[in-house]
Amino acid sequence: MTPRFLLPNQFKLIGWLIAIPAFVLMLFVLHGDFAFEFLNFSRGNTDSLQVLFDSPTLFSIRTNNFTDELGGILLILGLLIIAFSKEKDEDERITVLRLESLLWAVLINSILLILAIVFLYNGLFLQVMCYNICTTLILFVIRFNWKLYADRRTAKTSGL
Amino acid sequence: MKNTLRIERAILNITQADLAEKVSVSRQTINAIESQKYVPSTVLALKIALVFQKKVDDIFSLEEND
Repeated sequence: MTPRFLLPNQFKLIGWLIAIPAFVLMLFVLHGDFAFEFLNFSRGNTDSLQVLFDSPTLFSIRTNNFTDELGGILLILGLLIIAFSKEKDEDERITVLRLESLLWAVLINSILLILAIVFLYNGLFLQVMCYNICTTLILFVIRFNWKLYADRRTAKTSGL
Repeated sequence: MKNTLRIERAILNITQADLAEKVSVSRQTINAIESQKYVPSTVLALKIALVFQKKVDDIFSLEEND
């Protein structure tokens, strides 16, 4: 039972190197209104009323800064690469652990989402939705690595 | 599912790591099978049986709640 759709183990490091800077960038974008100047874009009539009712799709917007788009895509890509790289000792039990962790992450994320829908409103809810873009993957990575760690520790202490 | 992995290993005098290497899984997997935390796939069970030169159901057996 060899898992398909998994990247070689070396990709895991690449994933972390993409995901951590992207996560920090997104924190600054979300909470500090940070934006790279060179990702500014504008065309046509950009007076404030026009911009307020700007078109909602890529091919017709008048003005935008693409820092959040770039950060969001890098963050999702980085987390995907971490989540779906093989372990050094990948075998069938780790495949089962991976699937269980994915199930767990989806479940917990849905519960948190329901709680957010009930208890949070307006701006705070929108902020939580921003985090929600990547929380399933983050929950998965945390739970999967925790399980692997706990596993290795018990195997170590339980002798031959 | 019960198993006699630990006993079979003792008979051949091999470690978990040795067995893990022979059936190409990690040592943690052998450990998890021995402590009944993980039920191996049919393929892995057959490979393990092959190492011990026995039939699969000489090593693995069902329990009441299976």
